[in-house]
Amino acid sequence: MGCEGYDWKAYAFGELAANERRDAEKHAVACEGCRQELAQVRLTVDTLAALREEEVPRRIAFVSDKVFEPRWWDTFLRPTFAAACVLAAAIVMHGYITRPAEVDAAAIQAQVNQAVARAVADVERKNADLDTRLTKYYVQSTGIKYQ
Amino acid sequence: MIFREVEDRDLIAKARKGDVEAYNLLVSRWERRVFNYLLRLVANREDALDVSQEVFLKAYQSLAKLDDPGRFGAWLFRIAHNEAFSLLRRRKPEGEMPFETGAPVRGSELLPIELSLAVETALGRLSEEQREAVLLKVYQGFKFEEMAEILSCPVSTVKSRLYTGLELLKTQFCEVKHGL
Repeated sequence: MGCEGYDWKAYAFGELAANERRDAEKHAVACEGCRQELAQVRLTVDTLAALREEEVPRRIAFVSDKVFEPRWWDTFLRPTFAAACVLAAAIVMHGYITRPAEVDAAAIQAQVNQAVARAVADVERKNADLDTRLTKYYVQSTGIKYQ
Repeated sequence: MIFREVEDRDLIAKARKGDVEAYNLLVSRWERRVFNYLLRLVANREDALDVSQEVFLKAYQSLAKLDDPGRFGAWLFRIAHNEAFSLLRRRKPEGEMPFETGAPVRGSELLPIELSLAVETALGRLSEEQREAVLLKVYQGFKFEEMAEILSCPVSTVKSRLYTGLELLKTQFCEVKHGL
């Protein structure tokens, strides 16, 4: 068991600052317990090193392999696709909100007929008025009554 | 280590620009370490291989989110840690133990293969958290700070798990050494 205040595991793993390391080494020279503690830590770590590292049984797929291709639902999560969806929805909404009122062909035809009738009547009234004024002018100029 | 870090950084920059071969090279460089870490953690070769595949796939998909390419290793092992514990959590309801917990391996004159098995058995007796701390420190050489980043916990917790694990291993190795 090492003395309190000396972290021999951190020392063995090279985790101590330079000054802490120097202090620990100076202490260990005079302390049998701490030397034993450090020796046991090193023995444990050395024994752990006996564990054989395994080869990867088959290679991890590369980016060019099929496994790296995006899954079909990933397409829907892409920012560009999502932005396109939002834009399309906005266009549809805009079209719905600003759509023209329902069109009644018969009503429009009636309106057109009324407008035409008003225009014809107006022209006829103007013509009649013009005739009257011309007649008056003729009578005044010539003194001849127009029959 | 610094040279390797610089190379990783370079490969990551290229992979981010769409260089597929650069990422493939990164996979080649890290797959053995990731696979062995996962193998000791989940204790099943096929699962370790499947999870390794998933780790590299997720890392590729998230490469743009890696803030500091110089810390690629810790970032990659963070993904591996999450994937491994996700698998271990899924296993738990079945009551499956990742390692057999039989009698301790005995004998003072062990062949290398026997010693390797003894170490494997001893590691299997640790809790998942203690085992992971030992794997990351002893076999992967991460610093305490990096381990804290990988495990998302304070350095004090990392040290507590590691030190407890090492004490338990020390006791078990003494039993093996003295052939109790």
